[in-house]
Amino acid sequence: MGAMIKLVNLHKSFGKQKVLDGLNLDIEEEKTTVIIGRSGGGKSVLLKHIIGLLRPEQGQILIDGTDITKLNDRALNEIRKKFGMLFQEAALFDSMNVGENVAFPLREHTTMKEKEIRETVADRLRSVGLTGVEEKMPSELSGGMRKRVGLARAIAMRPRIVLFDEPTTGLDPIMTEAINRLIIETQKNLNLTCIVISHDIRSIFDIGHRIAMLYEGKIIENGTPDELQGSQNPVTRQFLAGSIEGPIRIM
Amino acid sequence: MNRFSGALDRLGRTVLVGVEEIGKIILLFVSVLTWMFRPPFKLRNIFKQMEFVGVKSIFVVVLTGTFTGMVMALQGYHGFRMFSAESLVGGTVALGMTRELGPVLTSLMVTARAGSAMAAELGTMRVTEQIDALSVMAANPVKHLIVPRVIAGVLMTPLLTVVSDFTGILGGYFVGVHILGINSGIFIKNITRLVDLNDIYNGLAKAACFGLILSLVGCYKGFNTYGGAEGVGRATTEAVVLASIAILISDYFLTAIMF
Amino acid sequence: MFSLSSEAKVGLFVLVGLIILGYMSVQVGKQNFGMKKGYTLEVIFDSAAGLDRDASVQIAGVEVGRVESINLKDGKALVRLNIIPNVKLEKDAIASIKTHGILGDKYVELYPGTRGEAYLAAGEQISRTERQADIDKLLHQLGMIADDVRGVTSSLNRVLAGQAGEEAITSILTNTKNLTGNLNNVIVSNQEALRAALENTRQLTGNLNRVVTQNDEKVGQVMDTLKSASIEMEKTFTALKEITGSINRGEGTLGQLVKDKGAAEKLTQTLTSLQEVTQKINEGRGSIGKLVNDDETVRNINEGLTGLNRYVNKAEQFRTFLSYRGEYLFNNNEAKSYLDLRIQPKEDKFYILGVVSDPKGKRTTKDVTTLGVTTRTEEWDRDGLLFNAQIGKRYKDLVLRGGLFESTGGVGIDYLTLNDKLKLSFEAFGFSRDRRAHLKAGAEYQLFRHLYLSAGWDDFVSDQANRSIYGGFSIRFEDDDLKYMLTTTPIPK
Repeated sequence: MGAMIKLVNLHKSFGKQKVLDGLNLDIEEEKTTVIIGRSGGGKSVLLKHIIGLLRPEQGQILIDGTDITKLNDRALNEIRKKFGMLFQEAALFDSMNVGENVAFPLREHTTMKEKEIRETVADRLRSVGLTGVEEKMPSELSGGMRKRVGLARAIAMRPRIVLFDEPTTGLDPIMTEAINRLIIETQKNLNLTCIVISHDIRSIFDIGHRIAMLYEGKIIENGTPDELQGSQNPVTRQFLAGSIEGPIRIM
Repeated sequence: MNRFSGALDRLGRTVLVGVEEIGKIILLFVSVLTWMFRPPFKLRNIFKQMEFVGVKSIFVVVLTGTFTGMVMALQGYHGFRMFSAESLVGGTVALGMTRELGPVLTSLMVTARAGSAMAAELGTMRVTEQIDALSVMAANPVKHLIVPRVIAGVLMTPLLTVVSDFTGILGGYFVGVHILGINSGIFIKNITRLVDLNDIYNGLAKAACFGLILSLVGCYKGFNTYGGAEGVGRATTEAVVLASIAILISDYFLTAIMF
Repeated sequence: MFSLSSEAKVGLFVLVGLIILGYMSVQVGKQNFGMKKGYTLEVIFDSAAGLDRDASVQIAGVEVGRVESINLKDGKALVRLNIIPNVKLEKDAIASIKTHGILGDKYVELYPGTRGEAYLAAGEQISRTERQADIDKLLHQLGMIADDVRGVTSSLNRVLAGQAGEEAITSILTNTKNLTGNLNNVIVSNQEALRAALENTRQLTGNLNRVVTQNDEKVGQVMDTLKSASIEMEKTFTALKEITGSINRGEGTLGQLVKDKGAAEKLTQTLTSLQEVTQKINEGRGSIGKLVNDDETVRNINEGLTGLNRYVNKAEQFRTFLSYRGEYLFNNNEAKSYLDLRIQPKEDKFYILGVVSDPKGKRTTKDVTTLGVTTRTEEWDRDGLLFNAQIGKRYKDLVLRGGLFESTGGVGIDYLTLNDKLKLSFEAFGFSRDRRAHLKAGAEYQLFRHLYLSAGWDDFVSDQANRSIYGGFSIRFEDDDLKYMLTTTPIPK
């Protein structure tokens, strides 16, 4: 299995602050890659580059061999149909109920009949462990339920790649565990290529096939969980240990 | 000296930011135009926005229109009485409402009600990544969010202006005829004599322009929100202020062109 | 609960809005319906100030069209009117721009023209326009008038206000009181003479009347003219009687004149000689007597007057003066009368035609040459008329005259001053080899409109013992008076 997503020498800065500084990363197909790093260290920015929300100043983003940095909107949208994404706060549309939220991409990109859509929506919700919530509004849902609905929407189109932006942030440990399980199951069931951003150390070893360490705009380590745990890199060690002492300076 | 150059610096920056902002709004308008005519058309979205911008603004527009007409009649009466030309009150109220106050006041009310809501709604969607979510789902946010709002603004503001004009004249009629005792026949005769069809239609054309301005500015400010809940608040305020100023300034130029 | 979808709500709102818009449009645009299909007429105004496109076009206050366009053409306003088809305008229609009240809109008012002329077709031009009183111009003039009035009142104020003004008025009143007192005295002391003069005048007019009745019909008609003239003269003499009453308007010189005993005496003498003159006229003696008694002369004068009348009517810009002048020559105790017609075609040019009655009469000389010796015989015809025929030209205050002076060639020069009220004149005529020329210097002062007083030195280089101081008066009817007489008295052609 080759690399499905290949990031080559990415550079991005906001104002004077360099966020990505010559980043290189290969993401393997049908595996879950977890990207770890400090808060505000550019993980979300990296994710937005992969899905084309942000464009790099320099470098290439190859999806199935296509460099999306050079694409126009229309072609980019075709690429995006391969993707699903679960946002940090789920990013459900407030103005729509749960059913409509999940049905949104279906209505947008397919010519399905209303009945089919309803069945598909119910199926996707079932696969994230929810039933009979179609008529509820996002504001009526708990954080965990919103994440589930978000995931249901992300996989509505049966994408090949699903991106998770800090899926467990702000959840209680039980719900965190439930979401982790959900990610693992979904990945396994649908043969997804998953990219997960997280700094929840406990989770990453459960869900990640590979773990990449982002530090100062670069991927400084990329390997299996075991490789990471045995890493001699002081930065990785400090991060995994959660220690204040080390090369990572706090403020 | 330093303070002076600092002031110059700030002034220049403000101007640059302003110019940049105007340019971005115009680019947004171009983008709205291109997406507006690209199928599929989401009529449901458009109707929802029209209901919000139009139907739900009726009450406030009727209220402002009526009272504006009443006040104009009252003020005009005291002015015209000096020339013994009280009968001109009707025509003056009607001319003022159709040409100027109807479009401007309606637009300002819609700005305050709907323009601010647009900025707040889109701002919230921006900071909660709902707009990103749209993009990720290969759905163009301009088409989904801004086009319906701009269409609703452009179509509903003139329609509300019609209501405002009408209720304003009714208010003026009520005050002029029933309170100040102007002859009702002459009151109405002077309206039809002084007011031209073009006065009404140009007023509506102005209202359409104002509708475009307020919806574009509201959407632009909301769409480019950053900085969480505070950012949403800031975007909303800026949208109302900028749209109001733009409406009043463009009103001058539109009037100069039209009349 | 019954609830509407957003589509339905929006639809309802749009429907209601469009109904209101339609209603307002129909109400406002009512008068526009049916206007589009009219025909176009053009009209050129000197100024279309305040007129707008779509302004109303009205006939007798009823709207029949609209102003279609206003353009500039050759410095004037070319206005195109759109008139509804069933209104037809005649060729001699008149267009004017009017205003509704002072502050109202401008509109075009049409007078459809005389029925029976051809109709104006589409695209033709209304050739007749009427200028309306321009409100701006009116206000401007009112402003100027107000300024003038303010100037007058402020100068009046300056004159009258304050102690100086008050004193001046008091002294004027005192003077007036004194003057009227003096006048009263004069009248009382001269009552007799005045009465005699007036009696003479009455007799004169009576005689004139008699002459008129005695003459044949044709001449009788002619005499009507003279009769009215005499009535006019009578009026003048009546006026003369009133003069003393109204003399308080006169100048201080008259006051002094009447105060002066000697002058009053001279006036009495003058009036007495006037009495003699009129008596002579009455008896058919003297030139005027002859004039009024001789048919031939009357016919001549009639013809002259008829021609003159025609002439005057034809050229109204001519000013004509008719004057009678009586002079009393104190040294010779004789009176001399002049009757002059002065025709003034231009302000600075005039002709004088007149007759003079000299008590000495007309002098004729006859040279008889026998054997190289010339003897001159001289005759005086006491009834002979002397004629004046002069042309004059005025240069500012100076008048030069030349022509016949009392039937002899001569020149004269006048100097006018005090607003033409005082005339100083010098005449030289009667040049002859055997005697010195007749030189005359005098002054004439305009006392009232028609009455002049004169005094001077006549023939002052005479070697015929003819030099004399003279004093007298003259009555002169000016332009308006003569015109009045000529136009109100029917003169047969």
